[in-house]
Amino acid sequence: MLYSWQMNPELNPPKQFTAKFEEKIEFNDKFAEYHFELTEPHEIGFKSGQYVSIQIDDAGHRRSYSITSSPATQHGIELLIDRSPGGIGSQYLDNLKFGDSIRGIGPMGQFVLAGKGEEALVFIATGSGIAPMRSMILDLLQVRQDQREIVLYWGMRNANDLFWLDEFQGLVEQLPNFHFYPTLSQPHPEWTLSTGRVTDLVLAHEFRPATGFYLCGRANMIQDVSKILTEKGVSPTNIHVEKFF
Amino acid sequence: MSDQRNVTTKQIGKYQVSVIREKCISAASCVAIAGGVFELDEEGIARVISQEGNDDETKLLAAQSCPTAAIEVIDTETGVQVWPIESE
Repeated sequence: MLYSWQMNPELNPPKQFTAKFEEKIEFNDKFAEYHFELTEPHEIGFKSGQYVSIQIDDAGHRRSYSITSSPATQHGIELLIDRSPGGIGSQYLDNLKFGDSIRGIGPMGQFVLAGKGEEALVFIATGSGIAPMRSMILDLLQVRQDQREIVLYWGMRNANDLFWLDEFQGLVEQLPNFHFYPTLSQPHPEWTLSTGRVTDLVLAHEFRPATGFYLCGRANMIQDVSKILTEKGVSPTNIHVEKFF
Repeated sequence: MSDQRNVTTKQIGKYQVSVIREKCISAASCVAIAGGVFELDEEGIARVISQEGNDDETKLLAAQSCPTAAIEVIDTETGVQVWPIESE
């Protein structure tokens, strides 16, 4: 078992690449999914959960984005962009025209699925922290056809911010081992699913021994959930985190 | 007879890097890009293990790729901080 800060020798070293902007799906005012086709080299070998760093100006500024697509597709990458901060990264991407080239380096990051030994998997995300988890869940369910129990908790503020719901609900309907719990902290009255924070769900639910937990989102969520899990007796080696900032 | 071995001290580059521990979030991009210069310590925080482990271009790329700008790069010839850009 690797601690999250030990370098994983199975990870490919990052390479510089160029890619062509192919498609954009605007989910709502905040979130959009960008698709890029690799041009040089033509493939990127990554593990689900890793990220790339995109150069956004000639001064050398870069922004890091988790890859949301399945690692089975190596000729391109899909990135989830949270445009709400309005920073230089989202401005750069907003101004891209189809066919434009971007320069990046990747894959990078240690937030990847652990090897065997975890008997069930629980993914806990807030906001755009869902990005690497989509890649991991597609990897597990569609590529590896993993039979373990896999649970996804996703916390958002309100229903207008949500996306990928149909995709995750479709997986729930197809696969009895996948469970999905979106929860809203500020729901509209017509919202019929979970309300509150993901920490409330983690606190309320029981988990089987040897479950692996994957946390991605704001630092306070990671801190709170890690504390709850530790108090429930989960070993720190079974808690994998990716802090967003 | 004199020793014919030509032993020199080799200055690989002019960039000196340092890590601001409080900013590091263990993303490990620096280690992935410039593993000869950076490693993660027992707390998962990046630290410098050698200034000569990678060339200047790679060290600068590692600093620019850090999501939290936790790596500073100083040009030792001029004393100027080249990353993060000081005017920011």
